[in-house]
Amino acid sequence: MAPEPSLLSMSGITKSFPGVRALDGVDLEVQAGEVHCLLGQNGAGKSTLIKVLAGAHQPDDGQITWRGEHITLKSPIAAMRLGIATIYQELDLVAHLSVAENVFLGHEPTTAGFVVRGRDARSATATLLKRLGHPEIDPARLVGELSAAQQQVVSMARALSHDVRLIVMDEPSAALDPDEVDNLFRIVGDLTAAGVAVVYISHRLEEIRRIGDRVTVLKDGRAVAGGLPAESTPTREIVALMTGRNVEYVFPPRPPAGTEYPPPVLTVEGLARDGEFAPLDLELRPGEIVGLAGLVGSGRSEILETVYGARRPSAGRVLVDGTPLRPGSVRSAVRAGLGLAPEERKAQALLMLESVTRNVTVSTLSRFARAGWLDRRAERAAARRATRELSLRPDNPDVPVRTLSGGNQQKAVLARWLLRGCRVLLLDEPTRGVDIGARAELYAVVRRLADEGLAVLLVSSEVPEVLGLADRVLVLREGLVVHTAPARELDEHRVLDLVMEGSPVPTQSVTEEGSATS
Amino acid sequence: MPQIPSRRGLLFGGAAVGATALLASCTSNEPKNSKPAVSDRPAADDKPGKPVTIGFAGPQADHGWLNAINENAKSRAEKYSDVTLEITEGSNDTAAQIGQIETLINKKVDVLVILPADGKALTQVGLKAMRAGIPVVNLDRIFDSPQAYRCWIGGDNYGMGFNAGQYIGEKLKGKQNAKVVELAGLDNLELTKQRTQGFDDALKNYPNITKVARQAAEFTVESGQSKMAQLLQAQKHIDALWNHDDDQGVGALRAIEQAGRDEFLMVGGAGALSAFEQIKQDRGVLKATVLYPPTMAASAIDLARALGQGKGVSGMAEFEIPASITLFSAVVDKTNVDQYMPTGFR
Amino acid sequence: MTQPATPAQQGGPDAGPSPAPAADAPADGAGPLRLLWARADARTLSLLGVLAVLVLIGGITKPDEFLDTRNLQLVLTLSSIIGVVTVGMTFVIMSGGIDLSVGAIVALSSVWASTVATQEFGFAGVLFTAVLVGVGCGLVNGVLIAYGGMVPFIATLAMLASARGLALHITGGKTQTVSIDGILRLGNRDAYVLGVPPLVLVFAAVTVIGWLVLNRTTFGRRTVAVGGNAEAARLAGIDVRRQRLYLYLLSGLCCGIAAFLLLALVGSGQNTNGNLYELDAIAAAIIGGTLLSGGRGTIVGSVLGVLIFTTISNIFALNNLQSDVQQIAKGAIIVAAVLVQRRTASTT
Repeated sequence: MAPEPSLLSMSGITKSFPGVRALDGVDLEVQAGEVHCLLGQNGAGKSTLIKVLAGAHQPDDGQITWRGEHITLKSPIAAMRLGIATIYQELDLVAHLSVAENVFLGHEPTTAGFVVRGRDARSATATLLKRLGHPEIDPARLVGELSAAQQQVVSMARALSHDVRLIVMDEPSAALDPDEVDNLFRIVGDLTAAGVAVVYISHRLEEIRRIGDRVTVLKDGRAVAGGLPAESTPTREIVALMTGRNVEYVFPPRPPAGTEYPPPVLTVEGLARDGEFAPLDLELRPGEIVGLAGLVGSGRSEILETVYGARRPSAGRVLVDGTPLRPGSVRSAVRAGLGLAPEERKAQALLMLESVTRNVTVSTLSRFARAGWLDRRAERAAARRATRELSLRPDNPDVPVRTLSGGNQQKAVLARWLLRGCRVLLLDEPTRGVDIGARAELYAVVRRLADEGLAVLLVSSEVPEVLGLADRVLVLREGLVVHTAPARELDEHRVLDLVMEGSPVPTQSVTEEGSATS
Repeated sequence: MPQIPSRRGLLFGGAAVGATALLASCTSNEPKNSKPAVSDRPAADDKPGKPVTIGFAGPQADHGWLNAINENAKSRAEKYSDVTLEITEGSNDTAAQIGQIETLINKKVDVLVILPADGKALTQVGLKAMRAGIPVVNLDRIFDSPQAYRCWIGGDNYGMGFNAGQYIGEKLKGKQNAKVVELAGLDNLELTKQRTQGFDDALKNYPNITKVARQAAEFTVESGQSKMAQLLQAQKHIDALWNHDDDQGVGALRAIEQAGRDEFLMVGGAGALSAFEQIKQDRGVLKATVLYPPTMAASAIDLARALGQGKGVSGMAEFEIPASITLFSAVVDKTNVDQYMPTGFR
Repeated sequence: MTQPATPAQQGGPDAGPSPAPAADAPADGAGPLRLLWARADARTLSLLGVLAVLVLIGGITKPDEFLDTRNLQLVLTLSSIIGVVTVGMTFVIMSGGIDLSVGAIVALSSVWASTVATQEFGFAGVLFTAVLVGVGCGLVNGVLIAYGGMVPFIATLAMLASARGLALHITGGKTQTVSIDGILRLGNRDAYVLGVPPLVLVFAAVTVIGWLVLNRTTFGRRTVAVGGNAEAARLAGIDVRRQRLYLYLLSGLCCGIAAFLLLALVGSGQNTNGNLYELDAIAAAIIGGTLLSGGRGTIVGSVLGVLIFTTISNIFALNNLQSDVQQIAKGAIIVAAVLVQRRTASTT
């Protein structure tokens, strides 16, 4: 490494959220003019780290040094003033403003401090866009009318409109076509040639090989390797760093091979949603756990929500015990015995202001009521039974659900469906935001519920989770099932291979089987 | 939505339809013996003359007095075979009223009668009409500039308060330490301040009288009831009450009745029919009301017709109608109520 | 999972750059349940405190007039009508909605129920009409919002305009006097039951029923669930749309009852009745601790909010202070209450 002081050095960065330690003493060191790649699986802490760097999150602990000086990043504006710009995966542009207005949002060129000089902004924007290789974008157009790739260019122009020294790009190639990716790489090359540092996040290992200088690998909130040479580090080593675990997930034992299951409780026939996933056939039998594996955007959650009736299918139907559900009706699904533990637990499942009891009984209220009048003692007792069965902690159904850890919040959701006597459980990212240590317990709970006769449909972006917990796995790519097999016949590399196959950028430099996961 | 209505649903639906029919029949508001609340006196010069089209624009008639204004204008115009009245839908929105008046200007009516929702804000449109050669009769709420109207006719808010004060002063003459309370109208209106000022000025001539309290209601029955109830609670004994408006007076009288108070005399304002009837019966506290006559709208139609036909006002020596007419706020009490009864508004 | 959650962990990842948890959060030792209780109690207690201060001010400035049975009866009576409306409004706001049309519905119900034609059906006819018109307007609101997908603000704003317009159309701007003795007597002293005005009895009954419905029934629980997290409620199998429909029906029902009480109190129907009730009811609910975003609120708090506003206006009237001062004080109290609420929310 060059002996000169690094542009940015973060050391011992720690950040906790309720129930999760997202960052656990991460170090990151970036040189001026380099492309520094950040690798790691979902939940490894990449997003949290770049949000700390962008000033959007305040670290609980740790030091940030910028050009030799110790700094604190109190707000996104503070970071921007220092010359740190971030291009997020979900672009933060204002659709109803023009390209130029977006680029200069918050620092418009003005006369007398308040009269916006629109013409100056437009010509400056045009220059920036030209530099980025997109002179065809009209600075006066509304951002909402642009394509995703063009919007990304605008976002980049915005970063460059500041006097920028470090640009963070969060999966910039995810939404791009191959030739657009080439243009992106050319821009990155121009930037680094001008001395700007780029922190580049991607799961596509081949991209990292093409443009990266050094690689830092994150796993479970820790940097497991820092400053590896991007070109020469073997893929096997990188994948091992990303997937290898300190805490091995302990998965409960499966029923032995060749187990005879009862006839299917849930049948999905040709279920499809235009633009989200292709017609899907699926049978789910009591006692069986079926997993859906795939990248973000492969249609996993959409399938689950459509089965559940939260989205209306464009074709096909869902049957429970041979009786079709009313399409697009959650109530019909719930009445037939389906239960969903959604991906966004706080936004989609929990009443955060309410107690555990009220969260658990919300789907079964009428059971505790006579003519609408609640028997609160019976309600509380039932909630207590259900939460005890899942060993929810603390063992007190009166505590507000927001005080629980992620794993226990998930148990509260499961208790809701357990109490309802549900027969088909749909789990969407069941361990998101759940501590590593608590996951094993959650896996055991799911397996026990299956053994007791529940049919479980599981979706997870963490391949080991799907492989470890499910009996049967469906591999999804871009809304299409590309492979179905018993879980014991698959391994992580094989699944990743299936999932990543047909990536926009040809995998020329990857010689070995396998690639990075999301 | 539920697909098949249950039997209970059908039953309820049937009941709802029946109820709707009943409700629909309940909106009728015609009392059995209804009579127009307008002066029937003949106009000064009602022989048919040159045909005149009069445009009339007023605020939304959401209040008894404003409603009476519209009715007075309409029925007066009907009396003349030579008058065509173009009346706009009333609006309290300045912009909407401006638009309505501009429409009337474009229609080239002969004369305009305008009761502006806001006098100041509508001055420009008055000027515009005058410049277009359409004379404007400005009714009650006065425009900012005399150039915006040919003739103004309206009530006398100061005089109303003054006459009320004088009436009370005379009635309480010789009574030591007499206490008076005032139930004012909407406080953010200029006319409320003028009425209060007139009342206070009149009381200055009667050193034995003190105004002990004043609360502002909102010209509504409901606010009249609640403010009056609290005024009565605050003052255990009063000798007289001056209430700015007979509409809110309905509520005030209700509060007085509920509090079981009758030791004082009450003077109202405006001239509602219900007030006249109670004055005539002379059973309650309401002994008099000071006029703010809605018949001014009928007079405005007369003036407009005279303008359109190029005549003066009969009974006056001039060839032209006056530029400004301030109406007298007469006090109506038991002695003269019969005379005013036909002008009372509902 | 093994570690118990501590209050310090409560700023979620999506809380953004929020300030650090307030240091004055109660110390550990007290269980979360106790904390919840303490908070709920603290809110109610602070409202009672405000009311006590007002009573003190009233008692000091006007001892004879303020501290008097008649004045108590007066304040409670004047609170009754807006109080009934506020109970309905509290349910709607708790569910994350808003009903801007309450004042207009009260006006429409009161004039429809006091037309000459309706009054021919006597006491029951007037009561029935008032309630049915209120429920009918609520039904329209509810259908537009729950099944028509309209934003509550817009749908009820439209109802505000049309109900007021229809009320004006029916009355023609005239005052419709109620001539049924049975109704008028309800507003008079001789109908007081053991010194309690009948209007206040109705208000009390609506409050108690409202409290029971909110806290002891599936309906109340579902209301809170819909307001706290409509998406979660939907995915938990609650019929969110039907619940919303019922809530606006309930608000309309309360308006209908209030309209009848209004007829009894002031003895006439007018299209200006219920003027700005929507603002008074929302203000009372908010200073009572109801979150405008839904999911939290209490009937007791809302009713205390109504009593606080009525008491202030009573004290001002008794001291002969004018309406401008009164309005300023009202605004200040709303701001203060919301600031206190934000503080409470940030320590939560």
